[in-house]
Amino acid sequence: MFTRPFRYERAERLAEASDLLRRYGEDAKVIAGGQSLMPLINLGLAAPHVVIDISRADQDGGPRTIGSDNGYLTIGTLVTHSRLAADQVAARMQPLLGAAAARIGNSRVRNRGTLGGSLAHSDPAAELPLAMVALGAEYEVSNGEQARYIRAEEFHLGFLTTPLEADELIISARVPSLGPGWGWAFQEFSRRDGDFALAAAAALVRSSGGAIVESRVAVGGVNDRPVRLADIEIALTGATTEEAADRFGAIRGIDPVSDTGASAAYRAHLAQVLVKRTVIEACQRSEAAHV
Amino acid sequence: MSSPGSTDVGRSLAVHMTVNGRPITRVAGAHFTLLRWLRDVAGVTDPKYGCGEGICGSCTVLVDGAAVSSCLVLAAQVDGAEVATASGLCEPDGSLGPLQRAFHEHHAAQCGFCTPGMLMAAAAMLADGRPRSRAEIRSELHGNLCRCTGYGPIVDAVEAAQRAVRAASGPTGPTASAEAAR
Repeated sequence: MFTRPFRYERAERLAEASDLLRRYGEDAKVIAGGQSLMPLINLGLAAPHVVIDISRADQDGGPRTIGSDNGYLTIGTLVTHSRLAADQVAARMQPLLGAAAARIGNSRVRNRGTLGGSLAHSDPAAELPLAMVALGAEYEVSNGEQARYIRAEEFHLGFLTTPLEADELIISARVPSLGPGWGWAFQEFSRRDGDFALAAAAALVRSSGGAIVESRVAVGGVNDRPVRLADIEIALTGATTEEAADRFGAIRGIDPVSDTGASAAYRAHLAQVLVKRTVIEACQRSEAAHV
Repeated sequence: MSSPGSTDVGRSLAVHMTVNGRPITRVAGAHFTLLRWLRDVAGVTDPKYGCGEGICGSCTVLVDGAAVSSCLVLAAQVDGAEVATASGLCEPDGSLGPLQRAFHEHHAAQCGFCTPGMLMAAAAMLADGRPRSRAEIRSELHGNLCRCTGYGPIVDAVEAAQRAVRAASGPTGPTASAEAAR
């Protein structure tokens, strides 16, 4: 609680935060909702010299909006998890995202925590990075002068590791909307409600005539980043809902850690169970979408 | 933007807030959390420091109506905000408000450390027209830890407070619809 003093800078615009990052370099940390940074500061794990506050930036601007753009759902970086979970446009265009946001922490975390904060923090067990990888989203990032897009799968590089340059911020996320006939599911398992997930899974399935035509499946919490499971997506093609769970066994390509929370073997088991459950739930939603 | 320099690292700044209806302006370190600002600077000591990670909920306050962990927000970030803490739940004459009274009557506090946070988590629910069920109370309160009561009395108290608030708000807020929703 008795944190080392730091200099506080409030950015009125996101571009101004990039200017400040260029000025202060590695001594500076950006704060939005603070739900990842403040625990690290309170526990003494982070001790920035400068904290750049973007939580009040662009009061009426794009960073705070959720919108629809040519079949894509666009979400501003400062949108809180509470808003994303309750938003009607998001629910209509890509319901998986709000369902994932509703599973984050507790209501206090969701009231302050922001989309950009969660994505840029890139915790391997976090809900939104997993959802974004499963959905094939991309992030608009900018240093205030130049913007670029980075695919979610190429953004979450490892434990708290991203390709963001020192002066870049996430501006928004662009998420493909749920296509006709697709079903979705998001599930996670944690020791206690609100705790970090030991494992989580997201699935999107499009079935036709009772059989899976295509799917997207990803797991979180078991590797140093969320991972898409191409092997399982291929194995699922042609399966009926009843067959889907039997089309794959142990999940390959994952490397869970053993820690005080759970053993690697238990995490691998959870991942397999959650993938099966989400695939079945997504199949059922896909079939219901045809009715 | 001001110019950089190590001399003003940790400089103080004035923060203004309306706490339980009372305007307060205090100068404090720019690195002070809202919790530290409330407790150590403004003398509002009902929110407690528990974990510092947003897990335990003992520092829960409402900022512009939304429940937040006051240990995870910098006071400077919420300059100008309306803050509500548990001591503000009392009646204008200083007697216990409906939530506080329900906690008292249902023995929902034992050591009392979690109580200010529990009260504010419950207050956020009631202000939102919730809870709709006992399960929703349990689900919502998973963000507030109590090591004494086993939670049962706390859930009872929130239910009782909701009934009391609805009864007091008259025919527009009938208990019947709440019962039907269960």
